Amino acid sequence: MAVCIKIAAGESLSRVFLQKGAAVERYDIVIEEGGKAEITFVTLPEGEICNDICVKFAGRNASCVLRGLYITRGSGRASYNITMNHDVPDCYSNQLFKGLLYDASRADFYGLVKVPAYCIGTEAYQANHNLLLSEDARVRTLPQLEIYADDVKCSHGATIGRLNEDELFYMQSRGISRETARRLQQMAFAAEILDTLPEDIQAQALEYIPN
Amino acid sequence: MLQIKDLHASVADREILKGINLSIGRGEVHAIMGPNGAGKSTLSGVLAGKSAYSVTSGSVTYNGKDLLEMSPEERSWAGVFLGFQYPTEIPGVTNAAFLKAAVAEHRKSKGLPDLSAAELMRLFREKMAVVEMDKSFLSRGVNVGFSGGEKKRNEIFQMAVLEPQLALLDETDSGLDVDALRIVGNGINSLRTADNSFVVITHYQRLLDYIVPDFIHVLYDGRIIKSAGKELALEIEEKGYDWIIKEAENK
Repeated sequence: MAVCIKIAAGESLSRVFLQKGAAVERYDIVIEEGGKAEITFVTLPEGEICNDICVKFAGRNASCVLRGLYITRGSGRASYNITMNHDVPDCYSNQLFKGLLYDASRADFYGLVKVPAYCIGTEAYQANHNLLLSEDARVRTLPQLEIYADDVKCSHGATIGRLNEDELFYMQSRGISRETARRLQQMAFAAEILDTLPEDIQAQALEYIPN
Repeated sequence: MLQIKDLHASVADREILKGINLSIGRGEVHAIMGPNGAGKSTLSGVLAGKSAYSVTSGSVTYNGKDLLEMSPEERSWAGVFLGFQYPTEIPGVTNAAFLKAAVAEHRKSKGLPDLSAAELMRLFREKMAVVEMDKSFLSRGVNVGFSGGEKKRNEIFQMAVLEPQLALLDETDSGLDVDALRIVGNGINSLRTADNSFVVITHYQRLLDYIVPDFIHVLYDGRIIKSAGKELALEIEEKGYDWIIKEAENK
């Protein structure tokens, strides 16, 4: 399925895409001068869900916030291929993608931020964080910046981790059972995105986190 | 209440505890002192069930039960509390959610119903007063961005909420300024009853001014080399450990 989103000058749009089952999706997002987009992907695959996401700025002072929460289980697979084209100066983008991976599931994150030499005043941030909750879960993450301009603020980062044993022990030492402690940590990890979701989608995402 | 017999424990195949014998009765306060690297933190970690330590021999009996067989959370339900030397930060979990979960599981283990939100808040308020904490602590992530003093006060706050029978306080006084020490010291003191016991691990006499020990033990190289009354702390403050170590070596 292909989704085209155009945000006219000065307009704002906030959307949440809930993805389940298996799918191949393409999103083309164009933001005109002063426009603001805030788009969240909640990806709960049964099979494979592939996302191709392309953002273009078509005027100055536009902003784009992309968020993603993927919770993969069984042999499920989530992938994102994101291109953030800063073709206009003075635009802002911020990407935050977080994943919880169980069983033998897998996720691929490929994100590219492009800033040509004339696009000064660009602010672009990109982060991808992953929590592996089984031995067999796998993640491949490749956040990339391609920057040719000098006067810009950009950062990117990726982490792949497991539940923190020190935190688990601290909670257990206060009488919180290991299972509850593990769940609290997973919720804490996801909270940054979960908290921004409407209630019904939040509930569906929570259902995907095993007890 | 607690009997430790010939306890040996190691970390990554290095033996740290080399035969600890210690008996703690109801209502007693024991201080454990000793130079760095003697095994003080290992002892408290072993008693709380930290998995990095492996017990190689010996036994620990707590209220007639084998403590070493219990999971860390079971030890907590049974009334054991460890005040951490370096309290762990848990980003994303608020102090309130953390303690709510802890209180709920403690009550469940005793077959008691959950507290209502209002009852829980009343409990938190009452216990926060013990360590002069204000309400904003509750909505902050567990120990995240807390100063050293705030972290230690948070430990005592948690202890006040959980009302343990046996509190192991690992260098709760380290890194505290005079005011924080007074708050923490008074907090601990106010939680003393005839029924609960304390093991206070410290380098300094100053915490012992607030919580006066019945016994002082000197731990050195994985063993308790001297046990005496409270006056020993002053002697250590004045003369250090060397004379005690020499005395033990000459025996």
